[in-house]
Amino acid sequence: MNDAAATTNGDSKGIVPALRAIAAGSPAVAKGTLSPRVVLQFDHASRIYQPHENLGVRYRIEGIDDEKVRAVERSAVWYTEGKGEEDLESHFFERLFGQDAVNAAVPNGSFAIVLPSSPLSYEGVIVKVRWCVRVRIFFEGGKDFVSEHVFEIGQIPPARNRREPLA
Amino acid sequence: MKLPQFFGKKRGHRRTGSQAWGSFGEGFFYAVLLVSGFVFGGLVLSGTVAYSPTDPDTVVLQHGYDWWMWLLTLLLPGALVAFGGSGVARVIRVWGKSDEHRAASMGLPKLLDTMGQAAQDAPGHPGVPTCENLVNSPGTLLRYRLPLESPESWTLIGFGLFAMLWNAVVLVLAVSAGLDLLSGKTDWLLFMVLVPFAAVGVGGIVVFVWTFLLATAVGPTQFEISDHPLAPGGSYDVLLGQAGTGRFRTLEVFLEVEELATFRQGTDTRTERLVVWRERVKEWHDVELTPGGRFESRFMIDIPADAMHSFASAHNSVHWRIVLRGLSESRPAFTRIFPLVVFPPPAPLLRRPVHSAWQVSP
Repeated sequence: MNDAAATTNGDSKGIVPALRAIAAGSPAVAKGTLSPRVVLQFDHASRIYQPHENLGVRYRIEGIDDEKVRAVERSAVWYTEGKGEEDLESHFFERLFGQDAVNAAVPNGSFAIVLPSSPLSYEGVIVKVRWCVRVRIFFEGGKDFVSEHVFEIGQIPPARNRREPLA
Repeated sequence: MKLPQFFGKKRGHRRTGSQAWGSFGEGFFYAVLLVSGFVFGGLVLSGTVAYSPTDPDTVVLQHGYDWWMWLLTLLLPGALVAFGGSGVARVIRVWGKSDEHRAASMGLPKLLDTMGQAAQDAPGHPGVPTCENLVNSPGTLLRYRLPLESPESWTLIGFGLFAMLWNAVVLVLAVSAGLDLLSGKTDWLLFMVLVPFAAVGVGGIVVFVWTFLLATAVGPTQFEISDHPLAPGGSYDVLLGQAGTGRFRTLEVFLEVEELATFRQGTDTRTERLVVWRERVKEWHDVELTPGGRFESRFMIDIPADAMHSFASAHNSVHWRIVLRGLSESRPAFTRIFPLVVFPPPAPLLRRPVHSAWQVSP
């Protein structure tokens, strides 16, 4: 992702999203005077969705003060976690640039998508599949800030490591 | 002062190093290869580095190569240009783009990923492997015959290739030594090399033959299934056919879910496998196999309703499989694996959560 300091503006479920929410900032971010924060609302309280279901989000970007935003990227992606290299696939991606488009998406915005049939969210032992909505803000200075918000598709129970010897 | 890090490493859930410096380092590396290829190729084409066998001390401008000679001469610079060029193109393509933007830009970066092999998705099911190769063989009693995925076969091929190549080298050395002897010369150094080489060669043949005998001693296993791909909550009719001779103390059939993760460790690419779910479907004791006949059994397998579907991405996957394990009285235990593909459940089978108003994610 990006260099510079990490912040925990993303999802509060688990440590990984916290590590993923990385702020790399504009000069103000670098100096510590700017701390962007994205407050995001899902249209399902549980944040659990089913395949082919509609997912709607609304968000509010706080703490950017007078920093000029060059572009905003909004996406719904799934990625793998665990022992292996990370694989990331995008289901929905939208890059908004140009003053009018940015003004429409900052500081408040919303979007809705239809979810795919797969892959379902999965909490395996060495392989995990996670879905998330990301809002990435690009500042005029060339740096960017990303906020990640995890949701689930399906309700697969976590896999347990069954290492017992064969009978 | 913090020096730039051109190489990143995976540290648990995070990566070391800066992506920008990493991309710069990668681009620089490929650019050097590309320029080297052009320079070397240019020198070869211009004749500057051409070599005259009749006058080895002089670099000459030499024309009149055959086409195959040109092909061979330009092979190395061509490879450098192709490898470097594709690398530079990849770096330029992803330069300055976010991870999500890269993921949304399909095509070239995935094709150029040298480590991961992106699995082909089943139509309409992203992240789910296709099962085309599992449904192209009809069964005798049930709909499909499952293909065998046997690691033993690859071991056998490996031993066979090693034995063949090693003994080819030994043969060349032996012929050379024999010709020397016939001409009245004795090259003791060659003989000293030949003896241990021949011993390893004989050992390679013995290991290959022993592995071959073990692999073929237990007769072929056949699994047929009533439908494919499978779905969570579904029950499927399965036919097992086991040929061979001798007495098996136990024969067991398992339904397993295996996770597979590929990662870099230093300069190596490693793959870790872990069975995370296993269910013994059927078990038989004291099975007697007679020549010409075969042991047959028909039974049902059930896929749990809340099971994870088969999943495959470039470096991670979740596999379903039927596994037959046998313990013979006179031979080592054997394992045979037959892959399955489980699709996500149809929408009505999924439990619907209770919804309320907008949920705030801080």
